[in-house]
Amino acid sequence: MDFEFLSQTFLKLLHGIPVTLELATLSLMLGACLALAFAVIRVRRIRPLNWLVIGYVYVFRGTPLLVQLFIIYYGLAQFPEIRSSFAWTYLREPYWCALLALTLNTAAYGSEILRGALLSVPRGQIMAARACGMSGLLLFRRISFPIALRQALPAYGNEFILMIKATSLASLVTLADVTGIAARIIAETYRPVEVFVAAGTIYLALSYGLILLVRLAEIRLNPDQREPAPGAGVSAARKEVNP
Amino acid sequence: MNQMTPPAQPPAVSVRGLRKRYGALEVLKGIDFDAHRGEVVSILGSSGSGKSTLLRCINMLEIPEDGTVTVDGTEIELVAQRGGGRRPADTRAMDRMRARIGMVFQDFNLWSHKTVLGNVIEAPTHVQKRPRAECIAEARTLLDKVGIADKADQYPSRLSGGQQQRAAIARALAMKPAVMLFDEPTSALDPELVGEVLRVIRALAEEGRTMLIVTHEVGFARDISDTVIFMNEGVIEESGPPEEVFAAGNNTRLARFIEG
Amino acid sequence: MLETLAMFGFGPDGWGPAMLRAAANTVAVAAAGFALGGGLGILVAWAKIAGNAPLRWLAAGYTTVLRGIPDLLVIYLFYFGSGLLLTPIAHMFGAEGFVSLPGFLAGMGAIGVVSGAYHAEVIRGAFYSVSTGELEAATAIGMPRLLKFRRITLPLVARHALPGLGNVWQMVLKESALISVTGLVEIMRQAQIGSSFTRQPFTFYFAAGVLFLTITILSGLIFNRLEHRYSRGRA
Repeated sequence: MDFEFLSQTFLKLLHGIPVTLELATLSLMLGACLALAFAVIRVRRIRPLNWLVIGYVYVFRGTPLLVQLFIIYYGLAQFPEIRSSFAWTYLREPYWCALLALTLNTAAYGSEILRGALLSVPRGQIMAARACGMSGLLLFRRISFPIALRQALPAYGNEFILMIKATSLASLVTLADVTGIAARIIAETYRPVEVFVAAGTIYLALSYGLILLVRLAEIRLNPDQREPAPGAGVSAARKEVNP
Repeated sequence: MNQMTPPAQPPAVSVRGLRKRYGALEVLKGIDFDAHRGEVVSILGSSGSGKSTLLRCINMLEIPEDGTVTVDGTEIELVAQRGGGRRPADTRAMDRMRARIGMVFQDFNLWSHKTVLGNVIEAPTHVQKRPRAECIAEARTLLDKVGIADKADQYPSRLSGGQQQRAAIARALAMKPAVMLFDEPTSALDPELVGEVLRVIRALAEEGRTMLIVTHEVGFARDISDTVIFMNEGVIEESGPPEEVFAAGNNTRLARFIEG
Repeated sequence: MLETLAMFGFGPDGWGPAMLRAAANTVAVAAAGFALGGGLGILVAWAKIAGNAPLRWLAAGYTTVLRGIPDLLVIYLFYFGSGLLLTPIAHMFGAEGFVSLPGFLAGMGAIGVVSGAYHAEVIRGAFYSVSTGELEAATAIGMPRLLKFRRITLPLVARHALPGLGNVWQMVLKESALISVTGLVEIMRQAQIGSSFTRQPFTFYFAAGVLFLTITILSGLIFNRLEHRYSRGRA
């Protein structure tokens, strides 16, 4: 293991971090917006959109991200209608194609996370809100969504890490992210082990930095989950079933 | 059925011909009753008698298949919907009605992501759209009234069951409701915490609020109620002032329930 | 549209057979990697459950690192790394140029090593969810340790692990698309070849998607069947 080479490589790889982080963060945020829309459609069973979303999620979770990426980057160029449309300025660029593919992909996984979170909001708290005269958007905005968000945070934090790893595919459409630069160095120097160690360290650092951020966010959003007072909570022994 | 002097105003709550079914099971088989302004009505009965369902039909948390509910002079019109059953013709009107009815649940159902104070001001601020400062001031008064002023900035998970239920009562009172509904308010509490909640409910009764209370606390019901209703298998079997209803030999089923 | 479908036919000009062969390669490399990962996973899970402190640390390091690094990097490591080792050896025997593990083996190795980390977590979780009572009963009747492992522990853990293993399989299947960078002619590589030959990338990548989806659906059915069978007698 040549440490001189290792540190040189490390420095070169740092240049790829902005692309990696940008792609991961942007796609996650845009994907989350989509995911929220999808989750609401699924939870409220808005037909026929409901079935479309189910199909969308199934396809995007059942096929490799690489296929999705190549269809967008290489495949769309096959159609003259697309090449002559205004969208072509974006769709011919590898960056936007990668962003689009990553966004659509994470939207599918995110929608399942958010759907689960929305369904797990305690029904009693929703009932109490209705009993106060809340409904529709107000109920969603003030009660259902905040509670669901807290529920979804751990799983979405994990999704963020998966996104960081997924951005490595952008290297296969010529983008200079960390993996892209790493591949180039390996091809030039035939020293895969050092490059792997350097690149791997960077990805691990990014992932762990993220985990810490997510944990901080979790703690901030859940001030009620630091140690509870003794004697708190509903007594299970006296619970009765209501007709 | 009610022995009070005939009131000059319409009843606070008026229920006619209420029927509610869950699938093949008919839980309410035609309920008629009135609750007048300032009247405290206790509803007793064994599990499955339909008492909680009746309460939940009053603020439309359950939609009855048949019958009408009139609260504070306003009736919520129900229309048929596809797929069976009925739905409110005007959901905004239903929301407005619900804002005039305060409900206290067996499981408290405080919102876990808000402090106690946050819970109490939520509906006045966002549903009734009253100024926030006013709501906060009133909330603190209410929390003081139910005895948990010092817990205002705590989260519900740090309160005991009794404290949570008292917070829930304050939350319901914050909307200045015309009617208060209590759905087995002490059934989920440890025995030693029941008393503090009953004290608060008694104080509200003595203020002259219109209250409907579904409860298992028979002695408490006898003490504070103007009217006691005994339900069994979806119908009202007994109804009247406590002295009458609890008089010995009146109805063996009720007597068995009281002893049981 | 019809010519597109005809292109995938089985005639002399059709790409059908080639795509199907590629699909077989996909399933093969995925299955091989999955099996390798399964073996690794059992070892690592055992290290985490019953090993001493250094073993546990090693195992934890392995699962942490391999779940935080992109699969593509691991594939490059195996493919080019194997070349580092094999090229000098091959040159000794007179070969020329860059000699590496064939794509299949490199891919299988990479998938095996990465999925091993996920397998380990699934198995560990499954082990802890088996009730200790059932395991204790086996010890109590005097079953020797190896026999107990084979007849009681393994089947019970397998039953709890099946859903998680199904997820790992789906993950491995999608990962196999990345092996195309080694030149192995699985579905993605074949689609690349076809699309550059016919200048119809959308057609071929779409077909690739359809193939993957089909394999996914079939896998799902098989795992469902397995879960049913192994849940016999479960409350």
